[in-house]
Formats: sequence, structure tokens, C-alpha cells
Amino acid sequence: MTTRLIFCLLLMVLTACVKAPVYKGDNYAYVKSSHAIININDEQIEPVYAVNIKSGNNTLVVLYRTYRHDYYCEFQWTSKPQTSYEITNQENKLPLTLYRWKRQNGLWASRLNPVDPVKCSKENDYM
Amino acid sequence: MFNILTTIILLSILVLNPRITAAQEDEIIPGVSSITISDARQSAIAFVNSSTSPGLEGATLELNEEDRQSSNWRSSLGFNAEFTLRNHIYDGYWGLAIVGGELNDDILLAGDQGETINLKVRRQVVALRGSLGLSFPITQQFKLLPYLTLAASELSTDASYQNLSDPLQNGSTNTSAWMYSTIGTIEAIYFQWHGHYKLELNALYHLIYTDSFSEDNPILATYDWNDALKLEGKFSGAANFNTLGHPWRWHTYANYTNFLSHNESSLGYTELIEVGAGLDWQINIVPLDWFGWQSLGIRLGVIFGEDVEGYNFGLTAQ
Repeated sequence: MTTRLIFCLLLMVLTACVKAPVYKGDNYAYVKSSHAIININDEQIEPVYAVNIKSGNNTLVVLYRTYRHDYYCEFQWTSKPQTSYEITNQENKLPLTLYRWKRQNGLWASRLNPVDPVKCSKENDYM
Repeated sequence: MFNILTTIILLSILVLNPRITAAQEDEIIPGVSSITISDARQSAIAFVNSSTSPGLEGATLELNEEDRQSSNWRSSLGFNAEFTLRNHIYDGYWGLAIVGGELNDDILLAGDQGETINLKVRRQVVALRGSLGLSFPITQQFKLLPYLTLAASELSTDASYQNLSDPLQNGSTNTSAWMYSTIGTIEAIYFQWHGHYKLELNALYHLIYTDSFSEDNPILATYDWNDALKLEGKFSGAANFNTLGHPWRWHTYANYTNFLSHNESSLGYTELIEVGAGLDWQINIVPLDWFGWQSLGIRLGVIFGEDVEGYNFGLTAQ
């Protein structure tokens, strides 16, 4: 009985792990990133790891740091309203990749429709 | 494994012959000086280390020597991944796995008087291991991962021996031991893309401290230091098909493993080479919204070394 109760509680906790994103408004998309977002639509910002942006054409610059170089990766894409995106490093050709993030159920989410940065430069052209 | 030897023989020798010499004291079977307590300890620890250390598991092996035949399998079910540490260049690294393995050894030993002793040993291990460490990206393509792994292993051993010249001289025993291993690992990873193809090179070094406890086998109340090295190259490309909207990639690989400090008599080998190929399904999901799981794969490899051959067939997760 105790084992079953623990199992049920554990299952409840696990299935609640992937939450549906909350958007700022109907025309907003949500972006989270494993590395700091430092520029949104040509506007320099304090580094953030998650941000609500207006849907439509967007440009984001994300800083990917290594001990040898810093890479400033610029993403340009058309975001859809009420949609989540995720920027992460997956050892692809360029340091970072942007995915559409989709909650599949309480246990996992999917990374879909990969978008490469238009460029990743070692110089900060976005100051 | 040579538990018979310990309990029955050592006790009887120590009790019945107080004038025992130092050399005899170290014998695990009376009159067989070619195998010692130290050999038995190293053999047990080598089996556990080769089964539980990260990156070394996943093999089915057959050893075929003139006086020794053994079969060995080891496998694991687990996962490891990096996680972001905000405001730091380095990332975190973790891993968790359940490991299992079995060894069946059939050894002919030459007694000091010329008799032949047949020793049969069956070992089974089940272990749980967890790893935690850091990932230092030196460049975009090259990173270093130092991490620490703690493994708790339950080892059971069934052993029997028989003097082939004297069927009345035989014995058998079942014993168990708990082994706790602390494994310090440094791993170097390099990758390079060429169009749709990706080359990955990986070097991994383990320094392993094993503390062993046994209530019914005093030989295995011991500790030991070991180290091991593994080098791997992998070449992958895009396969032209999808399943449920997710693409596949093919890969070929080759790796070399050297159990640097193991005595060759421990397992019958110290070096292994493996070559193989596989397919990876790029599922690209985020379990528990916590860590990335890029691919689920299947691989088949052949393993060979001096007097040893085998295969590695199984699922992979990255």
C-alpha cells in the first residue's frame, strides 16, 4: 500500500514536470535560452535567459561563451503567436540552434523545426 | 571468486600447519602456487570495475585460451547529459545508470605436484552509479569534462574446484560482497562538421578506487586502485528517411579500451578493440523539461583482442 502510494505520488510529480507556457498576451511568443540573450530586435538588453517577444519577424542575439572565444549568434525568424521557442547548444555546425518548443505531455516536450543562426561572429557587433 | 579457497583452505592450513611459510599463506588453493589471494582480489575488482565504469560497459565477450575459457557480458541502462549553469562559461554534467554483468570462468590450474585443478567461477554484479561533474568548453568544437562517479555494486560469486586426478578433492562455495567505487574521470571531446557529416573524437581516462566489504569472504574485505583508458572515433551522416517526422542518422565507430592497471590474469585480457555501426533516431525531446535527449539509437559492433572476441549490440541514448 505504501509502495503504491509512493509510486502514485512520484508519478503525479513527474507528470507535472512539463508545464504549458504562459504568454504575456495573445500576440506574444516565448523564448527561453540555455545561454544569455543580449539583444532583441537591435536593442541591447541586460542578459536574460527567457523572454516574451511580440510575434512576427524577430532578431535575437545570444552570447555563447567558450574559454577561447565568445560567439555572438544572431537568429532571425518569424515567430508565431502563443508559441514557445528554445535556443540551445547541441554540438551542431554553429554553436547554438533555435527550436520550436512544444509540450507533448507532462513528461516531455519536443524540439522541432530547427533554425540555425544567420551568423555567429567572434566580434560583438551589437553594442 | 576463489572463496572455497579462502574459507576452507586458508583456515585449514593456518590451523593445521602453524609452520606455514609466507608463500603458502598467499596461496588460494593448497599446492597451487600459481594463483594467489592477490590474484583473486584483483580478478573480482577488475570484473566489477570493467562492468560499472562509465563508458566501458556494453559488451558480450568470449575468452578462449588453452587453459581458460570464459564468457562475460555487461550492460547498462542509464543516461547522462549536460545542464546549463547560468552566468558561467562551464556547464554541469550528470549521469545515472543501473548496470549489470556476469562472468563465467572455467580455468585449468597446474598444481605444484603436476596435478590439474579445474576451477569454475561464476560472478554476477548489479550496480547503481551516479556521476556529477563539469563541462568546460575550450572552443566550440573541443571540451573537457572532469566528473566523479560513485558506484555501489553487489557482487555474488559461485565457485567450485576439483582436482581432476582426485575426484574426492573438490569444494564449492557461494559468497557475496558489496563494492563501493569512486571513479574520477577526465573526458576530452572534439567534433568537426564536414557538410552533413560529423566526426567525433573522444578520449576518456578513469582513476578508480574500490572499497570492498564481505561478511562471508574475507578475501574480498579489501580495497584497490585501478585506472583505465578509452579512445573512440565516430563518423556520422544524415540518413535519407524519417520516422514520425524525426530524421535518422547513420554512424560508424571504432574504439580502443585499455584496462591499464589490470593484471592480464584478472579477466584474461587488458585491451579491447571494437568497430561497429549504428542508426540514431533524432527524437530531440526534453524529458521533464530538464535535459535534452537528442537521439535513440541502435548499434552493433564486433570486439576483439588477444584471445578474446565478442560483440556489442544494444540501444544507445544521447
